[in-house]
Amino acid sequence: MNNSFNFNRFWLLVKRQWLEFGKIYLISLLVVVGVLILFYAWNLPEPEAEKGYRYNSEGFLYLSFRIPLFLTLGFIFISVIASGYFSLLGQKPKAIIELMTPASTLEKWLCSIFYTGIFSVFSFLLVFYITDLAFVKYIDKTIGTITFSWTSGVHPTPKTGIVSARTFFNDFFEHDEIKSMVVVPFMITSIFLLGSVYFNRFHYIKTAVVVMLFLTALIYTLIQTANWMTRDKMQDSANFGFSSAHNEFFIYAMVGITAVTVFLWCVTFFRVKEKEV
Amino acid sequence: MEFRENKAIYLQIGDYVCEHILLGKWKSEDKVPSVRELAVSLEVNPNTVMRTYELLQNKNILSNKRGIGFFIAEDAIKQIKIYSKIQFMDEELPVFFRNLYLLDIGFDELEARYQKFVKETFTNP
Amino acid sequence: MITINNLNFGYSKHNLLFKDMSMQLSAGHIYGLLGKNGAGKSSLLKNIAGLVYAQSGSLKVMGFDPAKREPELLADICFIPEEFYLPSIKIDAYIKANAPFYKKFDYAYLNVLLEEFNIPISNKLVNMSYGQKKKFIIAFGLATQAKLVIMDEPTNGLDIPSKAQFRKVMASALTDDRCIVISTHQVRDLDNLIDTVIMLDESTISLKASIEEITQKLTFKKMKELDETVIYAEPALSGYNVVVPNFHQEDSKMDIELLFNAVIAEKKKLKPIFN
Repeated sequence: MNNSFNFNRFWLLVKRQWLEFGKIYLISLLVVVGVLILFYAWNLPEPEAEKGYRYNSEGFLYLSFRIPLFLTLGFIFISVIASGYFSLLGQKPKAIIELMTPASTLEKWLCSIFYTGIFSVFSFLLVFYITDLAFVKYIDKTIGTITFSWTSGVHPTPKTGIVSARTFFNDFFEHDEIKSMVVVPFMITSIFLLGSVYFNRFHYIKTAVVVMLFLTALIYTLIQTANWMTRDKMQDSANFGFSSAHNEFFIYAMVGITAVTVFLWCVTFFRVKEKEV
Repeated sequence: MEFRENKAIYLQIGDYVCEHILLGKWKSEDKVPSVRELAVSLEVNPNTVMRTYELLQNKNILSNKRGIGFFIAEDAIKQIKIYSKIQFMDEELPVFFRNLYLLDIGFDELEARYQKFVKETFTNP
Repeated sequence: MITINNLNFGYSKHNLLFKDMSMQLSAGHIYGLLGKNGAGKSSLLKNIAGLVYAQSGSLKVMGFDPAKREPELLADICFIPEEFYLPSIKIDAYIKANAPFYKKFDYAYLNVLLEEFNIPISNKLVNMSYGQKKKFIIAFGLATQAKLVIMDEPTNGLDIPSKAQFRKVMASALTDDRCIVISTHQVRDLDNLIDTVIMLDESTISLKASIEEITQKLTFKKMKELDETVIYAEPALSGYNVVVPNFHQEDSKMDIELLFNAVIAEKKKLKPIFN
């Protein structure tokens, strides 16, 4: 019998954890779907008195409420799920039964990452995608066929076509910089997962406070450092370095965020391993 | 089974087994309940019952057939009487004698009482 | 089964709960772990189960270091904590989710035990009383066929008929390859069930002896007048309940409460007798 990892045992653990985790997860997911439907229903595009529907140069309707909705709701959902996962270990009577379950720490840890880092993130994306797609289809159907023509500096000749709605993800990933941010949700879950095993009570609030304090300190230090480094110096480029190393910056950010995520996951592993009740 | 205050449990279990044999509830040459069965029914540690069975085996009341269990010896009743007599002589008689001495009861009076008791209790119609 | 050598344990380094503790426990026994409140009974059990980590010393359970929490060992330990929590699901769902972790799990035996404890399998765990839940985890734990059974105050919360059921179940659970360790305050509930007494006092094991050994060395009886042989005495209805050295090969019944008080009060007099 392998005492570190055994796939059969891991699968048993996934099934076992579902009994406890699944309930909170499904309820949260249901709330998410409800909120999504409400927001979409409230923000269905309506023709304005004189101009009609508002759309961009490509003929796509403005559905600008989607980005803040996606970011806020996504953050809340995955952080709440991650923050609840190891909360059992904070209460002695619950922790004993969890720790005595015959699976290795590695398996218990992998299971936590599977549920919080992978399952919850992807299920949110899926739910968001399906809701969005349904509304996009619905909007396309209700506005009927409206043709448009658009003239601007970029297009000397008028661009014409049919006004339509575009799915959120097509909108969202239009810019390459956004693509490099796909690692951010994993970092968020890793932070809150660690919080759930680090703190014994009020995991969510405590983690949020720590993250805020940390970010404040980080930003303050960055500003101070930048001020110190640029003191008595002249700004020689209006672009401040962004134009030349545009893509590199985002690659560094992606690598950095991934590193932080992996690091926090590792810390979580050792916290679980060393947990005493 | 109620356990009494001051006698070792394994001996009390021994009395319990002997009583069952004397009353004919468990017959000669039969198998007695297994250590586990008796431990469960009396709510005691199986090791205690084991100690009882070993004691009764030493007294030739039970015999151990390896791998099968404990059986009541052919002459178990005779052996129980020997064993009980020793117990009575060693434990109860000294207390009895002490009372005879303290209360000044003579052997003549005692014998008369004894005869009467036997007549009334054991020689009924 | 369990080997403890020079174990030092405490929740803080300056205030050790156990100092230099050594002990061996073997299969085929029901050990009764006794001690005053705060003597560290639960902590010792948690050390054995690998739920807390000692400062120094060695602790081996069936050859494993419990602190590593290896699945193979965990599957061979049945730990019944004093306080526990069960998810709000049905009994059969709980069994389905948890039993497959235990290779030797005996479903038929579980049904026998649940029947003995009068627990219907279709019950929802959350709707059961504390006593019923406790009986359920005891039944589940024993059905795992774990070789080491650790119980912290198992009779707490059990009603009178349940205590009798518990004793019957435990009497049948003791096999030659199984080691059962039970900590308890309610010594009267278990005094015929345990065969070896382990007493914790003042950061160490003040007594570890089988009942056979204890009654060979000590006599528990009633006395009208105290004399110089008495080790420990408590006033009783007509005279005293006393502990005296067993000079005349008497076979008395061990009074576990009296022994407990004697060990606490007269450590110095008892120590030479048991060493």
